Amino acid sequence: MSIEEKVEDYKKTLAMFPNPQEKYQYLIEQAKKNEDFPQELRIDEFKVNGCQSQVWLVPEEKKNKLYFKSDSDALIAKGLVTLIASIYSNEAPEDIANSKIDLMEEFELGVILSPARRNGAFSMLKTIKEFSQKLAN
Amino acid sequence: MIKVSDLKKDFPIFEREINGKRLTYLDSGATSQKPSVVINEMSNVYANMNANVHRGTYVLSSETTTKYEDVRNKLKDFINAYSADEIIFTKGCTEGFNFLANSICKELSPGDEIILSEIEHHANIIPWQMAAEKYSLKINYINITESFDLDLDHFENLLSAKTKVVSIVGESNMSGMLPDIQKLNSLIKEKTDAIYIVDGAQLVPHRKIDVQELGIDFICVSGHKMLGPTGIGVVWGRKELLEKLDPVYGGGDMIEEVFYDSATWAPVPHKFEAGTPPYVEAIGLGAAVDYLSNLNMKNVEKHSDDLREYAKKKLENIKGLNVVHTNSKLAGCTFAMSVNGVHATDISLMLDTFGVAVRAGHHCVQPFHRKLNLDATFRATGYIYNDEEDFDILSDAIEESIKILT
Repeated sequence: MSIEEKVEDYKKTLAMFPNPQEKYQYLIEQAKKNEDFPQELRIDEFKVNGCQSQVWLVPEEKKNKLYFKSDSDALIAKGLVTLIASIYSNEAPEDIANSKIDLMEEFELGVILSPARRNGAFSMLKTIKEFSQKLAN
Repeated sequence: MIKVSDLKKDFPIFEREINGKRLTYLDSGATSQKPSVVINEMSNVYANMNANVHRGTYVLSSETTTKYEDVRNKLKDFINAYSADEIIFTKGCTEGFNFLANSICKELSPGDEIILSEIEHHANIIPWQMAAEKYSLKINYINITESFDLDLDHFENLLSAKTKVVSIVGESNMSGMLPDIQKLNSLIKEKTDAIYIVDGAQLVPHRKIDVQELGIDFICVSGHKMLGPTGIGVVWGRKELLEKLDPVYGGGDMIEEVFYDSATWAPVPHKFEAGTPPYVEAIGLGAAVDYLSNLNMKNVEKHSDDLREYAKKKLENIKGLNVVHTNSKLAGCTFAMSVNGVHATDISLMLDTFGVAVRAGHHCVQPFHRKLNLDATFRATGYIYNDEEDFDILSDAIEESIKILT
Protein backbone atom coordinates (compact mmCIF):
# COMPACT_ATOMS: atom_id res chain seq x y z
CA MET A 1 0.00 0.00 0.00
CA SER A 2 1.28 3.47 -0.81
CA ILE A 3 1.52 6.24 1.77
CA GLU A 4 -1.60 7.84 0.26
CA GLU A 5 -3.56 4.59 0.43
CA LYS A 6 -2.56 4.01 4.04
CA VAL A 7 -3.61 7.54 4.97
CA GLU A 8 -6.94 7.01 3.18
CA ASP A 9 -7.40 3.76 5.09
CA TYR A 10 -6.79 5.34 8.49
CA LYS A 11 -8.97 8.28 7.52
CA LYS A 12 -11.87 5.90 6.88
CA THR A 13 -11.27 4.05 10.14
CA LEU A 14 -11.09 7.25 12.19
CA ALA A 15 -14.24 8.58 10.52
CA MET A 16 -16.11 5.56 11.93
CA PHE A 17 -15.75 7.04 15.40
CA PRO A 18 -18.03 10.04 15.68
CA ASN A 19 -16.74 11.59 18.90
CA PRO A 20 -13.27 12.45 20.20
CA GLN A 21 -13.44 10.00 23.10
CA GLU A 22 -13.97 7.05 20.76
CA LYS A 23 -11.17 8.28 18.49
CA TYR A 24 -8.86 8.44 21.51
CA GLN A 25 -9.91 4.93 22.50
CA TYR A 26 -9.00 3.76 19.00
CA LEU A 27 -5.56 5.39 19.37
CA ILE A 28 -5.16 3.78 22.81
CA GLU A 29 -5.88 0.37 21.22
CA GLN A 30 -3.20 1.04 18.60
CA ALA A 31 -0.80 2.02 21.38
CA LYS A 32 -1.49 -1.15 23.32
CA LYS A 33 -0.75 -3.27 20.23
CA ASN A 34 2.63 -1.57 19.85
CA GLU A 35 4.52 -3.38 22.56
CA ASP A 36 7.82 -4.40 21.03
CA PHE A 37 9.77 -1.17 21.52
CA PRO A 38 13.08 -2.04 23.19
CA GLN A 39 13.59 -0.15 26.49
CA GLU A 40 17.24 0.52 25.60
CA LEU A 41 16.11 2.66 22.66
CA ARG A 42 14.31 5.09 24.98
CA ILE A 43 17.26 7.44 24.74
CA ASP A 44 17.67 11.13 23.93
CA GLU A 45 19.06 10.38 20.46
CA PHE A 46 15.66 9.06 19.37
CA LYS A 47 13.51 11.45 21.32
CA VAL A 48 11.16 13.67 19.31
CA ASN A 49 11.39 17.25 20.53
CA GLY A 50 8.34 19.42 20.94
CA CYS A 51 5.92 16.84 22.35
CA GLN A 52 4.18 17.33 25.70
CA SER A 53 4.88 13.72 26.56
CA GLN A 54 8.05 11.81 25.75
CA VAL A 55 8.00 10.33 22.24
CA TRP A 56 10.66 8.17 20.61
CA LEU A 57 11.02 7.35 16.89
CA VAL A 58 13.72 4.99 15.70
CA PRO A 59 14.31 4.71 11.96
CA GLU A 60 15.77 1.59 10.39
CA GLU A 61 16.74 0.99 6.77
CA LYS A 62 16.32 -2.44 5.17
CA LYS A 63 16.78 -3.03 1.44
CA ASN A 64 16.22 0.61 0.53
CA LYS A 65 13.02 0.76 2.55
CA LEU A 66 12.52 2.63 5.79
CA TYR A 67 10.89 1.25 8.92
CA PHE A 68 10.06 3.13 12.10
CA LYS A 69 9.81 1.84 15.63
CA SER A 70 7.94 4.15 17.97
CA ASP A 71 7.06 4.63 21.62
CA SER A 72 5.74 7.18 24.09
CA ASP A 73 5.15 7.37 27.82
CA ALA A 74 1.63 8.72 27.17
CA LEU A 75 -0.96 6.38 25.64
CA ILE A 76 -2.75 8.71 23.24
CA ALA A 77 0.53 10.16 21.93
CA LYS A 78 1.80 6.60 21.54
CA GLY A 79 -1.30 5.70 19.52
CA LEU A 80 -0.68 8.66 17.26
CA VAL A 81 3.01 7.96 16.73
CA THR A 82 2.21 4.27 16.14
CA LEU A 83 -0.19 5.28 13.41
CA ILE A 84 2.27 7.74 11.85
CA ALA A 85 5.09 5.17 12.02
CA SER A 86 2.95 2.56 10.28
CA ILE A 87 2.02 5.01 7.49
CA TYR A 88 5.66 5.73 6.69
CA SER A 89 7.15 2.30 7.36
CA ASN A 90 7.94 -0.08 4.50
CA GLU A 91 8.36 2.89 2.15
CA ALA A 92 11.30 4.12 0.05
CA PRO A 93 13.06 7.17 1.52
CA GLU A 94 12.40 9.23 -1.62
CA ASP A 95 8.66 8.42 -1.50
CA ILE A 96 8.48 9.60 2.09
CA ALA A 97 10.53 12.70 1.34
CA ASN A 98 8.29 13.56 -1.61
CA SER A 99 4.93 12.85 -0.01
CA LYS A 100 2.99 16.04 0.53
CA ILE A 101 0.22 14.77 2.71
CA ASP A 102 -0.95 17.04 5.50
CA LEU A 103 -2.04 14.56 8.14
CA MET A 104 -3.37 17.40 10.26
CA GLU A 105 -5.89 18.16 7.53
CA GLU A 106 -6.69 14.56 6.67
CA PHE A 107 -7.35 13.18 10.14
CA GLU A 108 -10.07 14.73 12.20
CA LEU A 109 -8.46 14.10 15.52
CA GLY A 110 -9.75 16.99 17.56
CA VAL A 111 -7.38 18.79 19.85
CA ILE A 112 -4.45 16.42 19.46
CA LEU A 113 -3.95 17.54 15.87
CA SER A 114 -5.18 21.10 16.34
CA PRO A 115 -2.76 24.00 15.85
CA ALA A 116 -2.44 24.31 19.62
CA ARG A 117 -0.74 20.95 19.79
CA ARG A 118 0.68 20.90 16.30
CA ASN A 119 4.20 21.00 17.61
CA GLY A 120 4.06 17.41 18.79
CA ALA A 121 2.60 15.76 15.68
CA PHE A 122 4.56 18.11 13.43
CA SER A 123 7.77 17.11 15.18
CA MET A 124 6.98 13.42 14.64
CA LEU A 125 6.47 14.02 10.91
CA LYS A 126 9.49 16.31 10.69
CA THR A 127 11.70 13.63 12.24
CA ILE A 128 10.49 11.07 9.71
CA LYS A 129 10.85 13.45 6.77
CA GLU A 130 14.32 14.64 7.76
CA PHE A 131 15.61 11.12 8.05
CA SER A 132 14.13 10.14 4.68
CA GLN A 133 15.52 13.28 3.05
CA LYS A 134 19.00 12.42 4.29
CA LEU A 135 18.81 8.91 2.84
CA ALA A 136 17.10 9.99 -0.39
CA ASN A 137 19.99 12.35 -1.11
CA MET B 1 -22.25 35.31 48.97
CA ILE B 2 -21.44 34.43 45.39
CA LYS B 3 -24.25 32.74 43.53
CA VAL B 4 -22.47 30.97 40.69
CA SER B 5 -25.54 30.30 38.55
CA ASP B 6 -26.27 34.06 38.41
CA LEU B 7 -22.65 35.12 38.09
CA LYS B 8 -22.00 32.76 35.16
CA LYS B 9 -24.42 34.81 33.06
CA ASP B 10 -21.85 37.63 33.12
CA PHE B 11 -19.36 35.41 31.25
CA PRO B 12 -20.37 34.82 27.61
CA ILE B 13 -17.99 31.86 27.24
CA PHE B 14 -20.20 29.69 29.43
CA GLU B 15 -22.82 29.68 26.68
CA ARG B 16 -20.48 27.36 24.77
CA GLU B 17 -20.70 23.61 24.70
CA ILE B 18 -17.59 21.46 24.38
CA ASN B 19 -17.91 18.06 22.73
CA GLY B 20 -21.65 18.31 23.23
CA LYS B 21 -21.27 18.87 26.98
CA ARG B 22 -21.48 21.90 29.24
CA LEU B 23 -18.14 23.67 29.61
CA THR B 24 -16.48 22.77 32.91
CA TYR B 25 -13.63 25.27 32.94
CA LEU B 26 -11.10 24.43 35.65
CA ASP B 27 -7.99 26.10 34.24
CA SER B 28 -8.26 29.59 35.72
CA GLY B 29 -4.80 29.13 37.22
CA ALA B 30 -3.56 29.47 33.64
CA THR B 31 -5.99 32.21 32.68
CA SER B 32 -9.40 33.34 33.86
CA GLN B 33 -12.47 33.83 31.70
CA LYS B 34 -13.66 37.38 31.03
CA PRO B 35 -16.95 38.99 32.02
CA SER B 36 -18.85 41.04 29.43
CA VAL B 37 -18.00 44.27 31.27
CA VAL B 38 -14.29 43.75 30.49
CA ILE B 39 -14.89 42.77 26.87
CA ASN B 40 -17.31 45.65 26.32
CA GLU B 41 -15.10 48.22 28.00
CA MET B 42 -12.19 47.38 25.70
CA SER B 43 -14.45 47.48 22.62
CA ASN B 44 -15.79 50.81 23.83
CA VAL B 45 -12.30 52.34 23.98
CA TYR B 46 -11.43 51.15 20.47
CA ALA B 47 -14.81 52.17 19.06
CA ASN B 48 -15.31 55.51 20.74
CA MET B 49 -12.20 57.11 22.19
CA ASN B 50 -9.06 55.46 20.89
CA ALA B 51 -6.00 57.71 20.90
CA ASN B 52 -2.50 57.33 22.30
CA VAL B 53 -2.20 58.34 25.92
CA HIS B 54 -0.22 61.18 27.51
CA ARG B 55 0.72 62.97 24.29
CA GLY B 56 -2.41 64.25 22.59
CA THR B 57 -3.90 67.70 23.01
CA TYR B 58 -7.30 66.64 21.77
CA VAL B 59 -10.49 65.22 23.29
CA LEU B 60 -9.92 61.56 22.41
CA SER B 61 -6.42 61.43 23.87
CA SER B 62 -7.49 63.30 26.95
CA GLU B 63 -10.39 60.86 27.55
CA THR B 64 -8.22 57.79 27.03
CA THR B 65 -5.47 59.18 29.25
CA THR B 66 -7.94 59.95 32.04
CA LYS B 67 -9.42 56.47 31.85
CA TYR B 68 -5.97 54.85 31.73
CA GLU B 69 -4.53 56.81 34.66
CA ASP B 70 -7.70 56.22 36.66
CA VAL B 71 -6.95 52.47 36.60
CA ARG B 72 -3.96 53.21 38.85
CA ASN B 73 -6.38 54.63 41.42
CA LYS B 74 -8.61 51.57 41.14
CA LEU B 75 -5.62 49.29 41.72
CA LYS B 76 -4.35 51.46 44.55
CA ASP B 77 -7.68 50.95 46.35
CA PHE B 78 -7.85 47.28 45.38
CA ILE B 79 -4.57 46.37 47.11
CA ASN B 80 -4.51 49.38 49.50
CA ALA B 81 -1.27 50.88 48.15
CA TYR B 82 0.02 54.07 49.78
CA SER B 83 -0.34 55.99 46.52
CA ALA B 84 -1.45 55.46 42.91
CA ASP B 85 2.10 56.33 41.79
CA GLU B 86 3.23 53.00 43.21
CA ILE B 87 1.26 51.11 40.54
CA ILE B 88 3.58 50.23 37.62
CA PHE B 89 1.95 48.69 34.57
CA THR B 90 3.75 45.72 33.04
CA LYS B 91 2.89 43.04 30.48
CA GLY B 92 2.28 40.62 33.32
CA CYS B 93 3.99 38.94 36.24
CA THR B 94 6.80 37.59 34.08
CA GLU B 95 7.79 41.06 32.93
CA GLY B 96 7.37 42.25 36.52
CA PHE B 97 9.93 39.77 37.82
CA ASN B 98 12.33 40.48 34.95
CA PHE B 99 12.11 44.19 35.69
CA LEU B 100 12.64 43.72 39.43
CA ALA B 101 15.46 41.18 39.07
CA ASN B 102 17.35 43.38 36.61
CA SER B 103 16.82 46.60 38.44
CA ILE B 104 17.40 45.35 42.00
CA CYS B 105 20.33 42.99 41.34
CA LYS B 106 22.29 45.70 39.50
CA GLU B 107 22.78 47.41 42.87
CA LEU B 108 23.94 44.26 44.72
CA SER B 109 27.50 43.07 45.40
CA PRO B 110 29.04 39.73 44.36
CA GLY B 111 28.22 37.05 46.93
CA ASP B 112 24.94 38.67 48.00
CA GLU B 113 22.09 36.18 48.33
CA ILE B 114 18.58 35.79 46.97
CA ILE B 115 16.06 33.47 48.60
CA LEU B 116 13.36 31.74 46.56
CA SER B 117 11.42 28.57 47.39
CA GLU B 118 11.47 25.14 45.80
CA ILE B 119 7.92 25.55 44.53
CA GLU B 120 8.29 28.83 42.61
CA HIS B 121 6.92 29.41 39.12
CA HIS B 122 9.66 29.69 36.49
CA ALA B 123 8.84 33.41 36.19
CA ASN B 124 10.11 33.79 39.75
CA ILE B 125 13.23 31.67 39.15
CA ILE B 126 14.72 32.36 35.73
CA PRO B 127 14.97 36.18 35.95
CA TRP B 128 16.86 35.75 39.26
CA GLN B 129 19.09 33.04 37.78
CA MET B 130 19.96 35.34 34.88
CA ALA B 131 20.71 38.25 37.21
CA ALA B 132 22.64 35.99 39.61
CA GLU B 133 24.92 34.89 36.80
CA LYS B 134 25.45 38.45 35.60
CA TYR B 135 26.20 39.92 39.04
CA SER B 136 27.75 36.83 40.77
CA LEU B 137 24.94 36.41 43.27
CA LYS B 138 23.87 33.24 45.06
CA ILE B 139 20.34 31.79 45.03
CA ASN B 140 19.07 29.69 47.95
CA TYR B 141 15.82 27.73 47.80
CA ILE B 142 13.60 27.19 50.85
CA ASN B 143 12.69 23.51 51.24
CA ILE B 144 9.11 22.44 50.75
CA THR B 145 7.82 20.00 53.38
CA GLU B 146 6.11 16.68 52.69
CA SER B 147 2.77 18.40 53.14
CA PHE B 148 3.72 20.88 50.40
CA ASP B 149 4.30 23.89 52.64
CA LEU B 150 7.31 26.12 53.21
CA ASP B 151 9.84 24.75 55.70
CA LEU B 152 10.03 27.79 57.95
CA ASP B 153 12.95 26.46 60.04
CA HIS B 154 14.95 26.07 56.86
CA PHE B 155 13.93 29.58 55.83
CA GLU B 156 15.15 31.04 59.11
CA ASN B 157 18.46 29.25 58.68
CA LEU B 158 18.89 30.68 55.20
CA LEU B 159 18.32 34.27 56.31
CA SER B 160 21.55 36.17 56.96
CA ALA B 161 23.13 39.58 56.53
CA LYS B 162 23.97 38.49 52.99
CA THR B 163 20.30 38.04 52.08
CA LYS B 164 19.27 40.98 49.93
CA VAL B 165 16.14 39.71 48.19
CA VAL B 166 13.42 37.26 49.23
CA SER B 167 10.93 36.49 46.47
CA ILE B 168 8.24 33.93 47.28
CA VAL B 169 4.94 32.85 45.84
CA GLY B 170 1.83 34.24 47.56
CA GLU B 171 -0.40 31.33 46.50
CA SER B 172 1.14 28.28 44.88
CA ASN B 173 -0.10 27.45 41.37
CA MET B 174 0.64 23.79 42.11
CA SER B 175 -0.17 22.89 45.73
CA GLY B 176 -2.44 25.82 46.63
CA MET B 177 -0.04 26.66 49.49
CA LEU B 178 -0.68 30.09 51.05
CA PRO B 179 2.39 31.15 53.01
CA ASP B 180 1.84 33.37 56.03
CA ILE B 181 3.11 36.55 54.38
CA GLN B 182 3.08 38.66 57.55
CA LYS B 183 5.07 36.04 59.41
CA LEU B 184 7.62 35.74 56.59
CA ASN B 185 7.87 39.51 56.48
CA SER B 186 8.61 39.81 60.17
CA LEU B 187 11.23 37.03 59.99
CA ILE B 188 12.90 38.82 57.09
CA LYS B 189 12.80 42.25 58.69
CA GLU B 190 14.09 40.92 62.02
CA LYS B 191 17.18 39.35 60.56
CA THR B 192 17.99 41.23 57.36
CA ASP B 193 17.51 44.40 55.37
CA ALA B 194 16.34 42.35 52.39
CA ILE B 195 13.59 43.34 49.99
CA TYR B 196 10.54 41.06 50.21
CA ILE B 197 8.71 40.44 46.93
CA VAL B 198 5.47 38.46 46.70
CA ASP B 199 4.47 36.62 43.55
CA GLY B 200 0.82 37.63 43.48
CA ALA B 201 -0.15 35.92 40.21
CA GLN B 202 -2.51 33.44 41.91
CA LEU B 203 -2.96 35.31 45.18
CA VAL B 204 -4.40 38.65 44.07
CA PRO B 205 -7.25 37.17 41.96
CA HIS B 206 -8.46 35.10 44.91
CA ARG B 207 -7.87 36.98 48.16
CA LYS B 208 -8.26 40.43 49.67
CA ILE B 209 -4.80 41.94 49.69
CA ASP B 210 -3.70 44.89 51.77
CA VAL B 211 -0.05 45.62 51.03
CA GLN B 212 0.22 48.06 53.94
CA GLU B 213 -1.03 45.49 56.42
CA LEU B 214 1.22 42.78 54.97
CA GLY B 215 4.25 45.04 55.26
CA ILE B 216 5.83 43.71 52.06
CA ASP B 217 7.99 45.69 49.63
CA PHE B 218 6.81 44.56 46.19
CA ILE B 219 4.08 42.42 44.66
CA CYS B 220 3.74 41.25 41.05
CA VAL B 221 0.20 40.98 39.70
CA SER B 222 -1.12 39.30 36.57
CA GLY B 223 -4.15 40.92 34.91
CA HIS B 224 -5.43 38.01 32.86
CA LYS B 225 -5.68 35.72 35.87
CA MET B 226 -8.09 38.14 37.58
CA LEU B 227 -10.72 38.54 34.82
CA GLY B 228 -8.68 41.13 32.91
CA PRO B 229 -7.20 40.89 29.43
CA THR B 230 -3.83 39.36 28.55
CA GLY B 231 -0.76 41.57 28.14
CA ILE B 232 -1.31 43.61 31.29
CA GLY B 233 -0.05 43.24 34.82
CA VAL B 234 1.15 45.35 37.68
CA VAL B 235 4.18 45.69 39.89
CA TRP B 236 3.35 47.43 43.11
CA GLY B 237 6.31 48.68 45.14
CA ARG B 238 6.92 51.09 48.00
CA LYS B 239 7.47 54.51 46.49
CA GLU B 240 10.74 55.14 48.34
CA LEU B 241 12.15 51.89 46.90
CA LEU B 242 10.81 52.57 43.39
CA GLU B 243 12.45 55.98 43.44
CA LYS B 244 15.83 54.36 44.10
CA LEU B 245 15.50 51.80 41.29
CA ASP B 246 16.73 52.45 37.76
CA PRO B 247 14.46 51.73 34.80
CA VAL B 248 15.21 48.64 32.73
CA TYR B 249 13.56 49.76 29.49
CA GLY B 250 14.37 53.03 27.80
CA GLY B 251 12.25 54.85 25.23
CA GLY B 252 9.46 57.34 24.84
CA ASP B 253 7.32 58.51 27.73
CA MET B 254 9.77 57.51 30.49
CA ILE B 255 12.04 60.55 30.31
CA GLU B 256 12.18 64.05 31.66
CA GLU B 257 14.91 65.44 29.41
CA VAL B 258 16.97 63.81 26.69
CA PHE B 259 20.36 65.00 25.44
CA TYR B 260 22.62 63.35 22.87
CA ASP B 261 24.82 61.90 25.59
CA SER B 262 22.42 61.35 28.48
CA ALA B 263 18.87 61.54 29.74
CA THR B 264 16.97 62.09 32.95
CA TRP B 265 14.03 59.99 34.02
CA ALA B 266 10.40 60.92 34.49
CA PRO B 267 9.11 60.51 38.05
CA VAL B 268 7.69 57.20 39.33
CA PRO B 269 5.70 55.42 37.89
CA HIS B 270 6.35 56.74 34.37
CA LYS B 271 10.11 56.13 34.38
CA PHE B 272 9.35 52.39 34.36
CA GLU B 273 6.83 52.52 31.49
CA ALA B 274 8.75 53.12 28.27
CA GLY B 275 6.86 53.39 24.99
CA THR B 276 3.15 53.31 24.31
CA PRO B 277 1.63 51.37 27.20
CA PRO B 278 -1.05 48.72 26.65
CA TYR B 279 -3.64 51.31 27.65
CA VAL B 280 -6.66 49.44 26.29
CA GLU B 281 -5.63 46.35 28.24
CA ALA B 282 -5.05 48.48 31.33
CA ILE B 283 -8.56 49.95 30.98
CA GLY B 284 -9.89 46.39 30.58
CA LEU B 285 -8.10 45.48 33.81
CA GLY B 286 -9.76 48.46 35.45
CA ALA B 287 -13.16 47.01 34.51
CA ALA B 288 -12.09 43.65 35.96
CA VAL B 289 -11.03 45.32 39.22
CA ASP B 290 -14.43 47.07 39.40
CA TYR B 291 -16.18 43.75 38.82
CA LEU B 292 -14.20 42.00 41.58
CA SER B 293 -14.61 44.97 43.96
CA ASN B 294 -18.38 44.89 43.40
CA LEU B 295 -18.39 41.20 44.28
CA ASN B 296 -16.27 42.13 47.33
CA MET B 297 -12.95 40.30 47.65
CA LYS B 298 -14.00 38.94 51.05
CA ASN B 299 -16.80 37.04 49.24
CA VAL B 300 -14.35 35.90 46.56
CA GLU B 301 -12.09 34.59 49.32
CA LYS B 302 -14.92 32.78 51.10
CA HIS B 303 -16.06 31.22 47.81
CA SER B 304 -12.52 30.00 47.09
CA ASP B 305 -12.18 28.52 50.61
CA ASP B 306 -15.56 26.73 50.52
CA LEU B 307 -14.94 25.36 47.04
CA ARG B 308 -11.45 24.21 47.98
CA GLU B 309 -12.80 22.39 51.03
CA TYR B 310 -15.40 20.58 48.90
CA ALA B 311 -13.03 19.79 46.04
CA LYS B 312 -10.32 18.49 48.37
CA LYS B 313 -12.65 15.92 49.95
CA LYS B 314 -14.05 14.93 46.58
CA LEU B 315 -10.69 14.48 44.85
CA GLU B 316 -8.93 12.79 47.76
CA ASN B 317 -11.63 10.09 47.70
CA ILE B 318 -10.88 9.03 44.14
CA LYS B 319 -9.13 5.68 44.14
CA GLY B 320 -5.75 5.73 42.42
CA LEU B 321 -5.54 9.53 42.29
CA ASN B 322 -2.54 11.27 43.90
CA VAL B 323 -3.35 14.83 44.87
CA VAL B 324 -0.50 17.30 45.35
CA HIS B 325 -2.16 19.70 47.77
CA THR B 326 -1.17 21.31 51.03
CA ASN B 327 -2.65 19.97 54.27
CA SER B 328 -2.99 23.46 55.69
CA LYS B 329 -6.41 24.66 56.74
CA LEU B 330 -6.09 27.63 54.47
CA ALA B 331 -5.12 27.14 50.82
CA GLY B 332 -5.96 28.07 47.27
CA CYS B 333 -8.44 26.01 45.24
CA THR B 334 -5.66 24.48 43.15
CA PHE B 335 -5.05 20.77 42.79
CA ALA B 336 -2.20 19.18 40.86
CA MET B 337 -2.92 15.49 40.38
CA SER B 338 -1.41 12.33 38.96
CA VAL B 339 -2.41 8.72 38.46
CA ASN B 340 0.24 6.04 38.75
CA GLY B 341 1.10 4.61 35.37
CA VAL B 342 -1.07 7.07 33.44
CA HIS B 343 0.36 10.11 31.66
CA ALA B 344 -1.12 13.48 32.65
CA THR B 345 -1.70 14.44 28.99
CA ASP B 346 -3.76 11.25 28.46
CA ILE B 347 -5.99 12.13 31.39
CA SER B 348 -6.41 15.75 30.35
CA LEU B 349 -7.21 14.79 26.72
CA MET B 350 -9.78 12.35 28.02
CA LEU B 351 -11.24 14.94 30.44
CA ASP B 352 -11.65 17.31 27.48
CA THR B 353 -14.00 14.78 25.88
CA PHE B 354 -16.22 15.27 28.95
CA GLY B 355 -16.11 19.05 28.43
CA VAL B 356 -13.66 19.46 31.33
CA ALA B 357 -10.76 21.88 30.74
CA VAL B 358 -7.71 21.25 32.94
CA ARG B 359 -4.01 21.80 32.37
CA ALA B 360 -1.42 19.05 31.90
CA GLY B 361 2.32 19.47 32.18
CA HIS B 362 4.68 20.88 34.76
CA HIS B 363 2.76 24.21 35.11
CA CYS B 364 6.07 26.11 34.93
CA VAL B 365 7.14 24.43 38.19
CA GLN B 366 9.54 21.93 36.65
CA PRO B 367 12.16 21.69 39.43
CA PHE B 368 9.51 20.81 42.02
CA HIS B 369 7.93 18.20 39.74
CA ARG B 370 11.40 16.71 39.36
CA LYS B 371 11.82 16.66 43.14
CA LEU B 372 8.56 14.73 43.46
CA ASN B 373 9.67 12.37 40.66
CA LEU B 374 6.73 13.42 38.53
CA ASP B 375 7.14 14.05 34.79
CA ALA B 376 3.88 15.92 34.68
CA THR B 377 0.64 16.42 36.57
CA PHE B 378 -2.78 17.60 35.53
CA ARG B 379 -4.19 20.52 37.42
CA ALA B 380 -7.63 21.79 38.25
CA THR B 381 -8.14 25.30 39.62
CA GLY B 382 -11.44 26.78 40.74
CA TYR B 383 -12.50 30.41 40.52
CA ILE B 384 -15.57 32.57 41.13
CA TYR B 385 -17.58 31.01 38.28
CA ASN B 386 -16.95 27.43 39.45
CA ASP B 387 -19.14 25.57 41.89
CA GLU B 388 -19.47 22.16 43.51
CA GLU B 389 -21.10 20.77 40.36
CA ASP B 390 -17.90 21.52 38.39
CA PHE B 391 -15.88 19.39 40.81
CA ASP B 392 -18.55 16.66 40.75
CA ILE B 393 -18.25 16.55 36.97
CA LEU B 394 -14.45 16.60 37.22
CA SER B 395 -14.39 13.74 39.73
CA ASP B 396 -16.74 11.56 37.68
CA ALA B 397 -14.75 12.31 34.52
CA ILE B 398 -11.46 11.45 36.26
CA GLU B 399 -12.90 8.11 37.41
CA GLU B 400 -14.18 7.35 33.91
CA SER B 401 -10.86 8.38 32.35
CA ILE B 402 -8.89 6.17 34.73
CA LYS B 403 -11.11 3.23 33.73
CA ILE B 404 -10.48 3.87 30.04
CA LEU B 405 -6.74 4.42 30.43
CA THR B 406 -5.80 1.57 32.75
